[in-house]
Parts: sequence; structure tokens; C-alpha cells
Amino acid sequence: MQVVEGAVIACAGLGSRLGMGMPKCMIELGGKTVLSRLIEDLRPLVPRIHVVVGYREELIVAHCAQHHRDVVIVRNPDFRMTNTAHSIRLGSMGMQSKVLYLDGDLIIDPTSLRNFVMRGAEVPLLIGVTRAKSSQAVFVTVPDTNIAQCMAVDAFQRDPATLWEWANVFVGSPALLKPGSRYVYECIEPFLPAAAQIIDLYEVDTPEDLEQAKAWIQQNE
Amino acid sequence: MNAFKTSSTAFCFDLDGTLTTTEILPCIAAELGVSGEVATLTKLTMDGLIPFEDSMRLRTLILGQVPLAQVHEIIASVPMAPSLLEFMQSHSNNCFVVTGNLDIWIAPLIAQLGCGVFSSRAVLTDAGMVRLDAILAKDEAIQTLRTTGRFDRIVAVGDGANDAPMLRAADIGIAYGGVHPPAASAMQAAHMVINDAETLCKLLKAL
Repeated sequence: MQVVEGAVIACAGLGSRLGMGMPKCMIELGGKTVLSRLIEDLRPLVPRIHVVVGYREELIVAHCAQHHRDVVIVRNPDFRMTNTAHSIRLGSMGMQSKVLYLDGDLIIDPTSLRNFVMRGAEVPLLIGVTRAKSSQAVFVTVPDTNIAQCMAVDAFQRDPATLWEWANVFVGSPALLKPGSRYVYECIEPFLPAAAQIIDLYEVDTPEDLEQAKAWIQQNE
Repeated sequence: MNAFKTSSTAFCFDLDGTLTTTEILPCIAAELGVSGEVATLTKLTMDGLIPFEDSMRLRTLILGQVPLAQVHEIIASVPMAPSLLEFMQSHSNNCFVVTGNLDIWIAPLIAQLGCGVFSSRAVLTDAGMVRLDAILAKDEAIQTLRTTGRFDRIVAVGDGANDAPMLRAADIGIAYGGVHPPAASAMQAAHMVINDAETLCKLLKAL
């Protein structure tokens, strides 16, 4: 048992597939930004929250100065040349043991998020998986035993498709984030198989994702 | 064992608008009834529209008219963020105030904090005038600290345009917006932006 000391939310990316000219975490759904939803839901679960910014950072900095004054903003000025793995490595400054890492463009069911953080305290590495639905999924292969309590990830793959995809959420040690990896899942690949848990979420990568997410939020609120 | 060796990180803090929750110089200016004027000058300086050195000379010329004892009294009454104060007092061996403010003005405050200091230097002339001898370049303070070899790592916290070189020279530069939004140049020079004193202290303790 090792409590999760903090969350690192990666918000530095361009979000070019969505093409809205703003960071994806700043999209408003139901009158609230994606980032505000995450921060508000994380607040009771972890003592510290780091938000990594890059693309149009001034929007996120101003948003946090107004609404979330107790988060630490970490800058990735090289966001155009680097990737999320680099961002979350920067975002881990001051985090030592066990951290929840997640993308800032996720809309996560609050109960599912809470269960994930609680389970994350019990295992060294916990990988978030979700029903395959996004347009450019990284699929995961899981062993046949499909019981939520003992679910595990064996491998990540672009192809062939499986029922489950990498949710861009994991709980683990900052020491896992070795320099050089392009994608976040590549950082944790050497440590597979690892415990996994289903997390109920939507990723907002494309206009179609956004429509699905909107419908999902309306249905849940 | 040398007390200085217990920690290898140095923490450098800007004074006005970072440690203090109001700007000091406008408070002194209030004594002369020119607080509005000096506040304007401070704002222009914070925004980087007037070079800090020129502004500091102007402000010293104006505020030097206030008797030293009175300046000390005013500075002693300027409110400071309690959590930052506590952090500095409990890490006094590796905390430093890095300020363009004058040594002769802030001496009692520094004594109260018990920490190190890099500041501008001035003397009180026989005629009772404040003579500005040297204005601190904040990045040079960081270089000086590095050359002592006492620290493996330097963390700097500040809010103004004149803090930008210090934030850039440090290993970890933090633009602080707890009192007012940090200057754009300070933010561009920083690794992190923090808007709350408690959050800042929590992070500093974790680094």
C-alpha cells in the first residue's frame, strides 16, 4: 500500500486532430472545461495536482489562476518538438513515489476515477484500459480471465484491434519515465505484464470523439 | 558536521510582491503622500516598461526623504505570507532573499527572517540622504551562490520582470502569482507557475 501522492495532467499538446485552436483540455462541455472537470474530481483523491502546459499555455495559466489556484503549473516550452512522455517527466518535478498520470483531454466518470486511484495505491503499476472506441486506439491484450479484480495488460499494439484500448491513464512511479520514449505507453511497456483496471472515460481527439463525449456527459448528468 | 551541508538546495525568494503580500515601496511612499505616483512607477517597472535600475534610482531619490527609522517601522509592518515565512525560518541556512530593495532599508526584516540576502546597496550620507551604490542584478546573485559550491541545486521564486534573469539562471525557476499575476517575462523564464503560498511551500518541501 503506497498512497498516490499526486496527479500529473498532460495538457501541453497541440490537439491538431480536433483543430479548435485551443488546448483540448480547455474545451467546454456542459459549461465546464475538460480540465476543470478533471481537477475538481481529482481534488479529493490526491494531495497535489501538477498541470503541464505548452501549446497556448497562456489560456490554461489564466484559467487556473482564476479557478484552480492550488495547482502547480509546469511549463514545457519545447512542446512542439517533444511528446507527452517528455511532458509528464517534466510534470513529475517534486513527485517522488507514486503518481497518477493522465491526459488532459479525458472526460472520466468520477466514480471510476476514484476506484482507479484507490486500486493504484495497492499495486506498483496500474494501467487504465477502456472499451475500444477511439479512432486511433492503442489496443491492449489482456489474458482470458476477464474479471475486473485481476485484470492485467500483456501487451500494447496498434494492430490487430482488440476489445480494449490503452486509456492514457496510469498510476506508477516517476522513475518509470525514462528519457527517450516517444509515447507514454512505451515508457511502461518494459514493465508488462502489469495490473490493469477498467476506467470509464472519453478521450477528445477528433470532432467525432467530441460529439460522443457530449452525448455521454448529457446522459450521465 | 557543517550545518550548511544538511541540504544541498538553495531557495531564493524575491521580496516585494512574493514574500510580502503588498509592495513595500508604495507603503513607504504613502508616508510622503506620493503612493499613487510611486505605485505607477512600480507598475511600469513590474511590466518591464522602465529598466529596473532606472526605476530604482528614481524611487530611491523620492523615498530616501523618509527617515531610516521610519522606513524600518513601515517594512516591519508589511504583511508577509505566513506559510512562506515559516518555510524560510525553518530552512534559514539555505534560504535567501534576493531583492533590488536597499540593504539599509531591509536589514531588520532580514535579521527577523534569519536567512541570507542579496540586495542593492546604499549608504546614508552625513546629510541624511540615501546614496545608491549598487543595484543588484538578480542573475548575478544566483551565479554568486553557485560559485560558493555549497549547493547542488538552486530554486528561485519571483513575480516581476526583474526576476526573470534570476528564474532563468536557477535550476528551477518558479513564477509566483500569489500576490498579483506574475509578469509575462517572469513566466516565460520560469519552469513552473504557482499562484498560492501553501501550494508553493508544499512543492518546495517536496523538491
